[in-house]
Amino acid sequence: MTGQQAPAIFEDLSEQFKPSDDIIQTPLQIKGQYAFLFYLKSVVDGNTLQQTVIKPFFEMASEEGFESYIQSLPNRIEVPSKEKLFILISAGFVLIAIGDQTFLLDIRLVKDNEIQDTIMEPTIHGPQKALSEDIEVSINIIRQRYHNPSLKVEDIMVDDLSNRAISLIYDGERANPEMIKKVKKQLKNLNTPLFQSAGDLQHFLNNSKFTLFPTSMVTERPDRIVYNLVGGKVIILIDGSPNVIIAPVIFFDFMSSMEDNYHVSIVSLFTIVLRYIGLFTCILLPSMYVAMTSYNPDILRVELALTVAGGRIGVPYPSFVEVLFMLFFTELLTEASMRLPKAVSSTATTVGGLILGTAATEAALVSNIMIIIIAAVAISTFVIPINELSFAVRVIRLFLLVYTALFGMVGLLIGFIGIVMVLTNKDSLGVPYLQIPWMGKSDELRMDNR
Amino acid sequence: MSRYKKMIKRSLILILLLPLLTQAGCAFKDIDKRVFVVGIGIDPSEKVRHGFKVTLKMIKPVGDVKSVPSQTYAYLTHESESVAEAIRMLETRVDKVLDLGHNRIILLNEKLLSKDIDTFMDFFTRRGDIQMITYMAVAGTTAEETISFEPETETPASIALYNFFDNTGTESPYVLTTFLFEFRRQVLSKGVNAILPIIDINEDKTAFIINNAIVLKLEEKPVKLSEVETKYFNSLLYNASGFSYKIEKEDLIMVLNIDTVKMKYKIVLDEGPPRIDMKVTKYGVIGESNKRLDISNLKKYDKTAAEEMKKKVIELLTKLQENDIDPFGFGLRYRATRLSREGLMDEWDRIYPEIEFNVTMDVNLKSTGAVE
Repeated sequence: MTGQQAPAIFEDLSEQFKPSDDIIQTPLQIKGQYAFLFYLKSVVDGNTLQQTVIKPFFEMASEEGFESYIQSLPNRIEVPSKEKLFILISAGFVLIAIGDQTFLLDIRLVKDNEIQDTIMEPTIHGPQKALSEDIEVSINIIRQRYHNPSLKVEDIMVDDLSNRAISLIYDGERANPEMIKKVKKQLKNLNTPLFQSAGDLQHFLNNSKFTLFPTSMVTERPDRIVYNLVGGKVIILIDGSPNVIIAPVIFFDFMSSMEDNYHVSIVSLFTIVLRYIGLFTCILLPSMYVAMTSYNPDILRVELALTVAGGRIGVPYPSFVEVLFMLFFTELLTEASMRLPKAVSSTATTVGGLILGTAATEAALVSNIMIIIIAAVAISTFVIPINELSFAVRVIRLFLLVYTALFGMVGLLIGFIGIVMVLTNKDSLGVPYLQIPWMGKSDELRMDNR
Repeated sequence: MSRYKKMIKRSLILILLLPLLTQAGCAFKDIDKRVFVVGIGIDPSEKVRHGFKVTLKMIKPVGDVKSVPSQTYAYLTHESESVAEAIRMLETRVDKVLDLGHNRIILLNEKLLSKDIDTFMDFFTRRGDIQMITYMAVAGTTAEETISFEPETETPASIALYNFFDNTGTESPYVLTTFLFEFRRQVLSKGVNAILPIIDINEDKTAFIINNAIVLKLEEKPVKLSEVETKYFNSLLYNASGFSYKIEKEDLIMVLNIDTVKMKYKIVLDEGPPRIDMKVTKYGVIGESNKRLDISNLKKYDKTAAEEMKKKVIELLTKLQENDIDPFGFGLRYRATRLSREGLMDEWDRIYPEIEFNVTMDVNLKSTGAVE
């Protein structure tokens, strides 16, 4: 049995992957017919391999027959360059050599392809399922919600160590080609050894070193993705992350919830107004307390001024220390309840919220009204629908607090104008960040950027 | 790794700057380091010649508002040549910052009204913070006594005199409200006289009585208005609600509750002798009666009421005219609607004492009340 030698490429491959124990390089042989397989057994679905490749091989009459059979398999792709071949093999592709021909089959074994529930942006109405950690499944979900030939899916190779699949999805007829170019260029120029999730990638997409406000949105909701596709935005998917990135975004995108589209108009108007009030409350209220109690108590009506003054009897520190102290503890509390396992986190909130709050007032460390303000601030922070903005807001109000502690009501005003200036100066891939979309919903959906 | 060194340096500087936050600056005065003045009384001084005696009413904040039975105040008095000086001296007697920003009442002694009122009120009108919110009033006895009076109905963290004059508390046509800015405007304008409410204390020393007013005349003795006159004036000029009126005709006694009063007037000079055409329209219901009333007779009651009330209005206007005072501001209207020329005001001064009042009263009763 002289047999046929495996093609040269197989040698290179096994060189490259050694000394991994899960490489399989096996010849198939029957009656003078030969075929060679090369794959990593840990990422290849053995059953499918057996059913679609090995079994037919032994049932086929001729090498040619098998060759054309493999040729016609739906999961066959062209053999790419050597560099890319290595990456594909490690992702679960199977290389088959028959005679002089080589074929590449996608027989990946993906264990994390369940569709997840929406956790970050839950809605009452609207879809309850989010995306999957597997990119193929995620693309499937998006495609199934947007049946349109103009929906383009482009794979992008990014120069990092993990070689994850990254896909750009956009509506070819609606998205601005300049924007797509910009996103691609941005992705090409990524200067990072490793990124693991959409949030990670989003961070590297920002050009500047210090950023507070997000310039692209991370979402898990398929309905939001489709809405933005129609609006001409570009979606970036990354394998292994159940979230996608939407770019470009403006500030007001972060203040909208998908729920707004599912309610009757007055109700959604009410919730939107409520949300903006919440935004301003959680930014301004702590600083306003300092400004009003320490600089301009004349603003308050006399009854309230007296109550505040009465509540502060015996409080040892000035008002801004009081606010800082309480804000610090609520931040700790929020952070702790996020990181803790679910079973323990309710205890943490009870101990922190109820016991600490009451004890602090009893011990005259903070005034009663302070507790109310801090609670109001904490609640209104949670009203902001997109998490990234609410994180940014948590930082911002500390800035404002410092300004107010130094300069009073004027400081609060100047600090606020400063924030507006920072936002005005910002852009997301060339789109002004604070752009006000004077557009109705239907106009927005019909928008043609070209 | 110079980049990291730079970062470490930066963070160190930040950390070193942080303790600055714990430094107490001179400007940081918390609300508990302030004492709120909630009333100022001004009397003529007994010791200083041409001086003033200024009384400040200061409110003491309490820790738990619900547990104290009544509000406690502190009072400070000082006599000096000017109001500003007196207040500066009073600052040396309290440990906290005197915060006038919440002061909404200034009480004047009646004797001060005939003096040069503009000069001593100057201190208050020059302050930007209180001129739009402060009410002016005249004390029935001395300003010191009235300002330091605490009525029985006063609850903690609420100031009785404020409730009288803003519309959140009692609303009565007898209570006239004059703001500081209004007062100054009226004092300085030609063609209008300032009018202030008078605050009295009842004989049992339990409550305020605010039901008449006083009209100032520049450097002359002021003229007091009676309760009824105050009521009519207030309802005509300021549409004060809660106006009630009793009609007695033959053996029928009715009390009308008027809820809306509309008044407009016109100064007519070119038709015969100068006159003021005043048209008053009142809407209301019948509140009390000693007889059975029929709703079909409403028009008749309208007419009776209109005749009676018209007499009262003319009486009021004539009294004002006789005393040569003009709180309605007829003269101001005259000035405002004529081309400015020299001697315009003198002209009005000649016209006003002889002007005739032509009042048309229109009463619209809507029902005889809820009972049939």
